[in-house]
This record gives sequence, structure tokens and C-alpha cells, in this order.
Amino acid sequence: MPEANPARGPEPVVVERPTSALAAVIRRRDAPTAMREDLEGWLAAQGVEGEDLQAMLAVGAERLLVYRKLVHNRLRSTTREFLERTVARLGTERFARDFEGFMEDRASHTPYLRDVPTEFLEWVLPRWAEDPEVPRYLPDLARHEVCDYEVRNHFSAQAHEDDAPTGLPLALDRPLRFHGAARLMHYEHAVHRLSTAKDDRTEAEAEPTHLLVYRDDRHRARYLALTPFAAALLQALVVDRMAVQPALLAAAQALGEPLDDDKLASAAELLADLAERGACLGAEPETA
Amino acid sequence: MSMFEAILSTRSVPTGIGLGLRARFIDRVARGAADGVPTFVELCPENYMHRGGRSPARLEEVAQRFPVICHGLMMSLGSTDPFEDAYFAQLRAFLDRYDPPWHSDHLCWSGLHGAVLHDLLPVPFTSAVARRVASRVVEARDRLERPMAVENISWYAELGASQLDEVEFLVEILERADCGLLLDVNNVFVNAQNHGFDPLAWLERIPLERVVQLHVAGHESWEEDLIIDTHGATVRDEVYELMAWVIERTGPRPVLLERDSNIPPLPELLDEIRRLDGVYQQALSRWEADRSGGSADVRTAKAVGHA
Repeated sequence: MPEANPARGPEPVVVERPTSALAAVIRRRDAPTAMREDLEGWLAAQGVEGEDLQAMLAVGAERLLVYRKLVHNRLRSTTREFLERTVARLGTERFARDFEGFMEDRASHTPYLRDVPTEFLEWVLPRWAEDPEVPRYLPDLARHEVCDYEVRNHFSAQAHEDDAPTGLPLALDRPLRFHGAARLMHYEHAVHRLSTAKDDRTEAEAEPTHLLVYRDDRHRARYLALTPFAAALLQALVVDRMAVQPALLAAAQALGEPLDDDKLASAAELLADLAERGACLGAEPETA
Repeated sequence: MSMFEAILSTRSVPTGIGLGLRARFIDRVARGAADGVPTFVELCPENYMHRGGRSPARLEEVAQRFPVICHGLMMSLGSTDPFEDAYFAQLRAFLDRYDPPWHSDHLCWSGLHGAVLHDLLPVPFTSAVARRVASRVVEARDRLERPMAVENISWYAELGASQLDEVEFLVEILERADCGLLLDVNNVFVNAQNHGFDPLAWLERIPLERVVQLHVAGHESWEEDLIIDTHGATVRDEVYELMAWVIERTGPRPVLLERDSNIPPLPELLDEIRRLDGVYQQALSRWEADRSGGSADVRTAKAVGHA
């Protein structure tokens, strides 16, 4: 019997059992072993029966598994390309095992191949965090590698408006507009100081690290290391979209320190620098 | 009137040999390194849609130099999942910007129950599936407000018990959806090799009046009895011959050289385009001679004249 699919439309849409079986061939972690041991039993467990079962038995396990190999090769190589240093340090066997887990538990849900590495990280990072075999700094390095791509390729539907200078000077009672590609990254390790060489195996130092990652006018990702106060201020401005004055107060409060003249001066210097770099685009205009 | 002529009556359509645009050489193409060789570029919208940074401006530069044809990867026409509204909105915006004469995608599924597998997976060759695919092609055409063409894929395993053979399946979709065919002659060759049929006999059953475009590519052997459509090698003579066989029957069409892996330096790809064009022009001469009442024997002339 075909499998019902809760699709839209007046008539029920059914998924052919051979189709859902092929999806299982590709996604199920145990598929290769189980199929080679007992293809008929495995296909029957996927609901394939009758003439469909006989036809798929005639095709054989190895030919069906070609599709698994094609899909996994493509997605793994794309992910490895984006996470080159992370995968080199993790090891290709461990990466392949993790990737199989991703395919079985979640798989991709985006039509854009370039977004698969981000999806993989969303799935694997909590698992790496709990795994003592994975170096502590590796999740930070993975996020750092993917961030580079995301910033370079960030898309804004209204880039001409959203990512253009507002022409308005800084005002204490207004939020600031930052370029949509800008990201505030917080790491527990100084992964930004690691060599970019693929064969480097130096471990990143455990050190709270705050970076503003922004896109320059040549579309390159640039990194600005932030002091704790600057990070707290940008958290309030970029992420929480606060106006400048409450953002300054919130940043000082987050550090448990008074908002003194030194902090005000450093904030003014930081915001002027970010404007010069094209990361800060001016005060947000008032909406009607 | 053929499907191609019908489109040609309302839209500008490039013919001749085109180049599949790839990240490896897009910068060079944007700067003019391919000028004068391909007659068009084909691009996969999914590689550029919803993407900022350098990509949009670079693509604009390419589009200033070449006519653009778009060929998608992720419509998943064979799936049972409903179409994603966001995907179609982004695709439509992209196509409206570059205004290709049609949009094409593959006769396959790429995702199921929301999981996207990013590959061209085979569908069962049944009437029920053909009807479903055809209705999805019509829905896609309506959503995009643009003619649709579908591409025959390489398939490595028949998925379940078939009620139809591949050609019957394909023809049912083409007729029900009243759409164009992007005929990938490398896929025909790969399937013929893997499944043991005569590619010319296969082509003879195809409604050539629906062919709006051709693809040619190279492939690689994975096993003794299995070749895979990797787009990772130069085009084989047999595939040149199939392309010529079609062109001498259809007349001018856009023919795309695909290369997705083991991509050689751009000058080598351009040389391959020139070789393809030599074969294409010979085939076109035979088509013209046949049209003007030339010898019927021209159709049986050997097509391949390249090294």
C-alpha cells in the first residue's frame, strides 16, 4: 500500500513505496549493512511489496546504494569545503560518521546546497559539545569557518535600502543601522588566531573572544576583535537593536561597571571606526 | 509549429553552443575571457538566488555579455511534497530579472517529507507518477508565468515495477503538461549503456518537435557495468553523434556543454565548445540541405568531424 502524505489539495497525494524506500536507502544509517544482509527483508520493512519488491530485488542492494553514495558524497564534500580546517582536525572518518547521523536524524531542508554546512552545524554542535573526544575549541572553529562564508554571501532582499548609509548622524535616542551582513560572534576560544593552514593542528587557547565580523566594500569578511565593553555595547546595538543611550547603559551594567568618561570615549571611537569600515550605516531613520 | 518555434515567436532565444556557468570561472567570464566563443550561458538559479555579496554584480556582468538560459536543480518535480512558496517566489524574482526564454528542471525527485537530498533521484515509471509530474510542471509554469521544459535524467536503477518504459513515461508528461523537452543526450547515452538499449532507437521515439534545448556532457565509469553522469570528463564521440543526430532533425537549438567536476582551465573548455560547434554546424548544414530538398542521404552522414 502506498504511504499517505498530508499534502495540500483535494485529492490525497501518495508516496510510492519504492520512492520512500530509496529515501531510506539514502538516509538510514543502518541501510548498507541491513540491505546487504537481507535485502528482501529490509525492503519489506520499508513497505515495498508485490511487483515493486521483485523489481527492486532484481536491481540489487549495490545498485540502490549507488544513490546513497552519490548523495552523501555531494553533501559531505560541500560541507567539507566550508569546514575545511574543522574537518581536517576532526578526522574524515569521524566526520563521515557524524554526517551519517545528520542525514538520518535531520537531513537538509534547504533548496540551497551552500546552506547545508550551516544545517549540519546546527545539528552537530550540541553533540560535539557533549563529546569528550571532540577538542573543546572545535565547535568555535566550525562556527568561525562557516561565519566567513555567511558574511561574504549574506543576502538582503532590499539591499539598496537596508544596507545603505542612512545619512543620519549618531543620535543618543535612536538605534543605529548596521550592515545586514555584520555578525557578532562570541567564542570560548581564540580560534581567530589559529593558522589558516589546513594541516595546522595547534590548539586554540581557551580565552573568551568577541568578534564583529563584517563585509568590506570588496565583499570580503573582516574581523574586528572587541573588548568586553565593546562586545556588550554591540550586543545591545546590533542584536537587541537598542537606542544608543540605553545601549551604553546596558553595556556598562552587563559588565557591572559604571559608565564613565573612558567608556564613553571608547564607545565614540568604536562607532566612528565602524562607520568608517562601512559596518555602521548611521542612525536609523524614524519610521512614519 | 514546434514548441521551440512557438517560444521563438514571442521571445528571444539563443542557439548554438553554450557554456554552463560555474563558480570556478565566473570571474573570468565576467571579465570577458569567454567572449565570442559560447553563444549563451546557462546558469542554475539556485546557485545565485537569495545570495548577496559579490555574486549579484558578477552575474550582471556576465548577463551583459551573454544571453542567459536558466536550468534549475531543486524543483523536485517528481516529489509528492507540495511546492515551497518561498522557493518559487525567489525563483520567479530571479527569472524575471534575467528573463530566460523558459525555465527547465529535471524529471526526478530531490526531496521527500521536507528532507532535501540535493540529487536527481529516479521516479517510478507509472502513469500515476506521470500524471502527478505533469500537473506539477503545469503548476510550476503557472507560478513562474514562463514556459517550462523538463530534462530526462540519468537513472541507475529502475524504481519499482514500471508500467511504462522511459520514453512512454516522458512522452506522457510532455503531452499532458504541454511543455518543452530539454534533451540531455549524454543522459540518453549513459542510460543506454547502463540498461542496454540503442540510444538512436530511443531518440527516434521522442517527439523532437518538443525539444527546446540539448545538454551534452561527459561521464565516468564507476564499475564495469555502470557509468555515472558526473559531468566530470570531456564529451565522448558517441554523445557528439547523438547531438548531431538531433540537430540535423530539429534545426538550430541551444546546446549546452555541462562540466561540474574535474573542471579544466577555461581555455580548454572553450576549445571543447569550438569542437562541439564544428559538429553542430555540420549537423545544421545537413538540416538546411534537407529543408531545401537536398539528398535524403545527408541524414545518415557521419556527424563527428572532430579530433
